[in-house]
Amino acid sequence: MNAQPDLSRRAFFMALPAVTAGLAVPARAAEPAGPHWAMLVDTRRCIACQACTIGCAMENASPEGQFRTVVATYAVTTEKGQTGLAVVPRLCNHCEQPPCIPVCPVGATFKRKDGIVVVDGERCVGCAYCVQACPYDARFINHRTGKADKCTFCSHRIEAGLLPACVETCVGGARIFGDINNPDSEISRQLKAAEGKTRVLKPEAGTTPRVFYIGLEEQLSGRVDGASAANMMWQPGHQGG
Amino acid sequence: MNTTVEVLGFASDLGWQLWAVQYFFLIGISTAAFFLTLPGMVWRLPQWRGVSRRALLVALVCGLTAPVALLADLHQPGRFLNFYLHSSFGSWMAWGAYFIPLYLLGLLLYAWLSLRPSMAALAERGERLAGFYRTLAYGGHDNTGAIRAAAIVAALGAMLVLLYTGMETMVVRARPLWHTPLLPVLFAVTAFAGGLGMTGLFEAIAGKTRSASLLNRWLELSQWASLATLSAWTVWVLTGSSAAANGTLGAMRGSSGWLLMIAALFATTVLALWLSRTRRDALIAPALLALLGAWLVRWTIVLGGQSMPKMGSTSHAYFLSMTADNLLSIMGTAGLCLALYIALTSLVPWDDPAEA
Amino acid sequence: MKISKQRRQLLAIGGLAAFAAGYAETGGRMVGKLLGRDTPKHKTAGDAPAPEFSVGRQGELVINPAQQVSYTTCLGCTTMCGVRVRIDRASGKVLRVAGNPYSPLSTDPHLPMKASVRESFIAISALNGKGLEGRSTACGRGNAVAQQMDSPYRVLTPLKRVGPRNGGQWQPISFEQLVKEVVTGGNLFGEGVVEGLGSLRDLKTPVNADKPELGPRVNQVAVLSSVNDGRESFARRFFQKSYGTQNFFGHGSYCGGSYRSGSGALFGDHRAMPHGKPDFANAEFVLFVGTAPGQAGNPFKRQGALLAKARTQGKLSYVVVDPVLTHADNRASADRGRWLPIRPGTDGALAMAIIRWLFENERIDSRYLGFPNEVLAKQGGEPSFSNATHLVVVEPKHPREGRMLRASDLGVVIAEDLRYKEGDAFVCLDATGKPVFHDKAMGPAQLFVDTALVVGGQEVRVKSSLLLLREEAMRLELPAYAEACGIAADTLAALAKELSSHGKLASVIAHGGMMSGSGFYNAYALMSINTLLGNINWKGGFVANGGGFKFDGEGPRYNLDTFPGMVKPSGTPLGRNMPYEKTSEFAARKAEGKPYPAAAPWFPNAPGLTTELLPGGINGYPYHLKALILWSSNPLYGIAGLRTKIGKDLADPKRLPLIISVDPFINESNAYADYIVPDSLMYESWGWVAAWNGVPTKSMSARWPVIEPQAAKTPEGQAIGMETFFIALAKAMDLPGFGEDALRDTEGNAFPLNGPEDWYLRAGANIAWQGKEPVADATEEDVILSGVERLRPLLEKTLKPEEVAKVAFLLSRGGRYQPGKDAYDEENAAWMRNPMKFMSHLWNENVGASKNSLSGKRNRGCGSWIEPAFADGTPVRSIYPAEQWPMQLVSYKSALQNSYSIGATRLLGVHPENPVLIHPDDALRLNLAMGDLAEISTPGGSLKARIMIHAGIIPGVAAFEHGFGHRELGARAHRLGSHRQPEDKRLAAGVNLNDIGLMDPTRPDKAPWVDAISGASVRNGLPAKIRRM
Ligand SMILES: Nc1nc2c(c(=O)[nH]1)N[C@H]1C(S)=C(S)[C@@H](COP(=O)(O)OP(=O)(O)OC[C@H]3O[C@@H](n4cnc5c(=O)[nH]c(N)nc54)[C@H](O)[C@@H]3O)O[C@H]1N2
Ligand SMILES: Nc1nc2c(c(=O)[nH]1)N[C@H]1C(S)=C(S)[C@@H](COP(=O)(O)OP(=O)(O)OC[C@H]3O[C@@H](n4cnc5c(=O)[nH]c(N)nc54)[C@H](O)[C@@H]3O)O[C@H]1N2
Ligand code: SF4
Ligand code: SF4
Ligand code: SF4
Ligand code: SF4
Ligand code: SF4
Ligand SMILES: [Mo]
Repeated sequence: MNAQPDLSRRAFFMALPAVTAGLAVPARAAEPAGPHWAMLVDTRRCIACQACTIGCAMENASPEGQFRTVVATYAVTTEKGQTGLAVVPRLCNHCEQPPCIPVCPVGATFKRKDGIVVVDGERCVGCAYCVQACPYDARFINHRTGKADKCTFCSHRIEAGLLPACVETCVGGARIFGDINNPDSEISRQLKAAEGKTRVLKPEAGTTPRVFYIGLEEQLSGRVDGASAANMMWQPGHQGG
Repeated sequence: MNTTVEVLGFASDLGWQLWAVQYFFLIGISTAAFFLTLPGMVWRLPQWRGVSRRALLVALVCGLTAPVALLADLHQPGRFLNFYLHSSFGSWMAWGAYFIPLYLLGLLLYAWLSLRPSMAALAERGERLAGFYRTLAYGGHDNTGAIRAAAIVAALGAMLVLLYTGMETMVVRARPLWHTPLLPVLFAVTAFAGGLGMTGLFEAIAGKTRSASLLNRWLELSQWASLATLSAWTVWVLTGSSAAANGTLGAMRGSSGWLLMIAALFATTVLALWLSRTRRDALIAPALLALLGAWLVRWTIVLGGQSMPKMGSTSHAYFLSMTADNLLSIMGTAGLCLALYIALTSLVPWDDPAEA
Repeated sequence: MKISKQRRQLLAIGGLAAFAAGYAETGGRMVGKLLGRDTPKHKTAGDAPAPEFSVGRQGELVINPAQQVSYTTCLGCTTMCGVRVRIDRASGKVLRVAGNPYSPLSTDPHLPMKASVRESFIAISALNGKGLEGRSTACGRGNAVAQQMDSPYRVLTPLKRVGPRNGGQWQPISFEQLVKEVVTGGNLFGEGVVEGLGSLRDLKTPVNADKPELGPRVNQVAVLSSVNDGRESFARRFFQKSYGTQNFFGHGSYCGGSYRSGSGALFGDHRAMPHGKPDFANAEFVLFVGTAPGQAGNPFKRQGALLAKARTQGKLSYVVVDPVLTHADNRASADRGRWLPIRPGTDGALAMAIIRWLFENERIDSRYLGFPNEVLAKQGGEPSFSNATHLVVVEPKHPREGRMLRASDLGVVIAEDLRYKEGDAFVCLDATGKPVFHDKAMGPAQLFVDTALVVGGQEVRVKSSLLLLREEAMRLELPAYAEACGIAADTLAALAKELSSHGKLASVIAHGGMMSGSGFYNAYALMSINTLLGNINWKGGFVANGGGFKFDGEGPRYNLDTFPGMVKPSGTPLGRNMPYEKTSEFAARKAEGKPYPAAAPWFPNAPGLTTELLPGGINGYPYHLKALILWSSNPLYGIAGLRTKIGKDLADPKRLPLIISVDPFINESNAYADYIVPDSLMYESWGWVAAWNGVPTKSMSARWPVIEPQAAKTPEGQAIGMETFFIALAKAMDLPGFGEDALRDTEGNAFPLNGPEDWYLRAGANIAWQGKEPVADATEEDVILSGVERLRPLLEKTLKPEEVAKVAFLLSRGGRYQPGKDAYDEENAAWMRNPMKFMSHLWNENVGASKNSLSGKRNRGCGSWIEPAFADGTPVRSIYPAEQWPMQLVSYKSALQNSYSIGATRLLGVHPENPVLIHPDDALRLNLAMGDLAEISTPGGSLKARIMIHAGIIPGVAAFEHGFGHRELGARAHRLGSHRQPEDKRLAAGVNLNDIGLMDPTRPDKAPWVDAISGASVRNGLPAKIRRM
């Protein structure tokens, strides 16, 4: 190989600053407002492929069967008898008024300046109170760690200048992630373009979510009255139905 | 309305397991039993003397087991110290971390003060452990002032425990089944039924059936109260009088499991009521029914409440299907209660000294 | 109650024991804390591994040296997307998989090759929204299958059967023993002598001296493979060109065989079966019939992505005709996509109704159809042409009945062996009514012709292809078609109108839904609509695949095709895909005066048929199979009814003496094998693979071992796999084409073929040098950043110095991909650059002149509506009437699972089984509730399944999601030597429709039901009944 002879392999490797230690990536230079992260889910583009679901699980090494994001999928039949498919990709909403935070007895869960709601895994006692308090079923107790777990907006990737795993691998291109403080960001532009037509999940919960939806049906934005196929499916460990 | 079938749905596991039910059950019984000790041991009403002493045993056995169950419901039990290192007082649960020890310390002090004379008596008898009893009796005075003071501390603790367990659950808006002001009342009232039941059961085990009529009188009262709160709660939950209740109604509608559960709750309560009224001298049956009722209420509300979907249509297929893990937690707490019971009854004389 | 002291102690101990049991887990967790085991990797990000690299504000890339990011190919399904595999260097574990931004199968628009690897990493980052725009994805399955790498069910050493076949007991053996035994044979299992591959390679002795057309004995060795995963030409080099058997088949006949054959008929090639796809990016309207973009389809992911994009950002609206609601549907974009339920197997009625309407309303593209040849068409602004105007002999009893009229028929002298072949022109009538040869025509020819011409001194009636199709379409009225398919006549008309209202920007596409008892004609009719619309090769129309870069021919660097001593396999293929009338059997029976029926059907218009190979080969028709090689192939799971038919026979070594499998897993088929040879899995493999279809630009994904293969090593130290095994076989049998000096470069210098790299790296050189000029060199940085570094010594050892950096360039980018902008023609931007080169055959003479080998009846040579039927043409419903079998079964691909992904248990966490879907009306009638267990029976058997109920299915149909109901791949624990595989019940969840496939009662051999023309497995529209249990 003759290209760039001055870059010996070894030298090249040596020149690579290590980022192995923790996830430490230098903090960003202070900005007037700093970013405020949010997600927009354009359900019209979702094909219910669950790439996000599994991609997230791989990225975040979630225990099998536990998910930080899921794509609930519905067969909806109208009064006229027309049946169609509807999807609701769900994840933590990184609420502005997050009911999961005040209940925590040890202050282990908190909202960062950039809007991301996280759990301090060094403090959490796994009491699951926050799991109860989240109106969106966005939290769970991680079977392996015994601590509250939830979507982090892949803070470790964002800090590294990358995109969240579910966004990176969203086949339909339904998930748009970015900084809503920056009017030029893709998400700000799309939110603006869709102004008045976006929804959030369970607005009545008063949580002010930071995950927005285009094309979300009101009927599907919270608990949904209806049958569930998952309820009767075979599950390891117990035989439902 | 469009009809929907959730083709692919997700429900996460229960955050609070059966251990939590056991905790709510046992701590409720303990606090209630503590209050039953007052007439006999503080106010020294003669007809209460025996029952109150037994109730103290109940309060101790259940009170000491309860936090152990609570710890088990933590998924990181080894970190319980964080409750004190990083208390976040915006959370009812954080307060709980202080109320439980307050109550238990008060209770232990109260128990010790109350039992000192009996221990002194034992030391007198010069049995094998006389030395031990002597130390424990620490003079063996029947210090009514001190007892009263300890009772006040324990009573405060007990009330705070009852308050916080109710409130902790009630404030969770996301769980419509919990989010009702009736919940703390329901918990408290049924706790009393449970406390009476457990005391009755202990009396029966000890072969003291004479207290039956006294206990049944109170049991009847508690069952009336339970029935009333339960009815109010059911109406609240099922009438759709609030948004949260609406959600609950939807989730419960057409669910035979739920209807069965509620029917079972009422049936146990009514049966216990009927038995305590009609069979004043029966001890075991009404006691067991009262206990079952108190337990079922917690089981239904704590676990059933969690099985209802917050999002989508998929519920966690938990209630009415107990698996080994969960049975183990019942066995575990029961086992600990038994061991404590035996230890305490082996060490301390519980029968009314007047009768002994 | 008085209790003794002892009893008390006992009770107390019991209580404490119960407590300990209940509290054990809690205790464990407490201790875990004390041991510090609960400290998270990261305070708030939990157990997520550190990112693979970071991209700073100014685009500075900082890589994480603990990880490797490499571009290779996913094999989570047959789409074979280019992916980005992220590996933890220390453990060799795959952490996550995402898309390769250079690959059009994962990215739209894809990155140009000239972008450096560094730039490719930045392109997927958050920097300036790049990663949102250039999003490069892996689907859910593509993410999860990385798990399979560490599956406890992998076969990692050669296995030899212990005890009876399919007994689940194996002995690990050495590679040397394996090769020796399978080559020399002998009394291998104490069951009698088994003939080895050595003596079976007999290129001289005929299988049957009385029937020389069957070919030599070597044909008694058959090889079944799956899809071309970029390695097939290597396997074919060995088994066909070197070993010499005729019988090497892929899975086409049970994949989308009927669709491919129908499309092959339209494009006039029933072997390669060319086929197109809508140009999603520019189409305005697409009719999907029996294919569901976003749910399955090939390319699964690309189609899903394009569909999502087109329905929101583009102009696309579409209709999906399917008995079942699919993921192509999306209520949020309601007016853009609609689901139209149809009865199974009746798509021909839909198609012919549309065709009729187009004719009646003069909405066919007459101008386009009038061009009789390519030159005229191009001059007239059309990028393709058809045989609409070409004349067909329709004279009854004429020896050329059903055939195209040719120049030689009209007296042009053509050498006998060239007659009726390519140079023998077709005939049409020019504007004045005079016959002209299609290639000599000076202008448009007449569309509708019904006349008589003098052929060989005799008046012969001829009609134009288009007229024949019109006549066929006019056979029934719209209401009759509507009645057949269950779609209202108005709707059919509206569909036709919509299709013809977008100029060239509308098209029709089909696939798996054609696997019914009328599949071939359904597909042929549907595909013919595209020709009538004149949309072929138009941007926004129906377009061809861009294809790959050929590497296995006589390439620009190496000849990977021919070699001295190469065999040209001959004889009758075991799938009987040739005319019955050419067999000596036919001649003999004709002499007896009873030529029909044949002992089993023949399929002159089909490609190699796995569906037929096994039942025929085992029963000795047309001859016996002596050895079967299953290479990554699972026909017993994939072919409806096959297990029922041959399961017992396969277990009997007397019926089929030797079964060898090459596969990384034990599947339902190779569980019957005598030997299993491990093969490389996904990211461990070498290969060069083109997109199956749906990518308009040339695309060739690289497969290279981005991680060290896990299989045991050969004595030479190479990982055991298909290549090393076949090379060893070749050497053991001293066969040509392998070993030292087996390969030649263009100058005739010899090179060895001793390992996979000898082949695939040189193949890479061929790819790098394709086209006007070779690709650029990889930079040092490319090589390091892409992990190709690991293979550098191998590249340097194998390739010529000038080739190293170019092949590294391809590996570092995960393949070679034509730039996206090259999709369209340089001169005419409305045309595709890589066109469908074939003429459209509205009449296919090979089909039209063929006869059903059971009934002797002539087949129809154009698209048609024919009710689903068995092999001799008997309608299914006349044997299994609806009164008795009121339901019809179909299957559909799982959006999550693939046929072999069940071991990726993360997928099961999302969707653990496949309850069978029925309509609420049927549920009511059958008294079934959600989740009930029901017995589902067909004439081919019955199974027990859980029922799911919703209105996303047409009443009268029950639908099976494919990919569940496994018996192997982990569903059963095998014993390998003293090691027993773990039990995992999850992997056996659900049901497989193919377990209750039908036997065809009209076939003398009672083999599984296949389409009478295409020979493709029938799995849609199985007559059935359902009973609550
Ligand atoms: N009822 C019903 N039947 C169907 C279908 C349906 O939709 N419904 N679909 C049909 C279709 S479209 C098809 S294509 C066929 C598919 O059927 P087949 O082509 O016969 O087989 P598969 O099950 O796809 O896979 C074959 C083998 O490949 C192996 N394999 C997996 N990954 C790798 C790898 O990385 N390397 C190697 N060397 N081997 C690997 C697996 O172990 C598996 O045993 O099934 C058909 N059958
Ligand atoms: N997710 C996923 N994607 C895949 C694969 C996978 O296993 N999973 N496999 C890949 C392979 S090998 C292939 S061949 C392709 C196949 O891709 P497709 O052909 O798109 O998929 P299929 O599910 O085989 O068939 C398509 C549809 O036909 C419907 N159908 C059944 N019977 C009939 C009928 O009689 N008429 C009509 N109109 N429709 C009918 C089914 O309900 C199904 O929705 O997908 C590829 N992509
Ligand atoms: S979605 Fe739930 S977990 Fe996330 S911030 Fe809101 S309340 Fe908290
Ligand atoms: S589980 Fe952890 S984060 Fe949640 S409330 Fe309890 S301590 Fe706080
Ligand atoms: S942002 Fe990250 S953690 Fe959150 S759902 Fe997406 S992949 Fe999972
Ligand atoms: S990856 Fe995107 S398209 Fe696929 S299910 Fe998730 S949100 Fe929908
Ligand atoms: S579509 Fe198939 S090949 Fe592509 S990522 Fe998904 S599983 Fe892999
Ligand atoms: Mo396929």
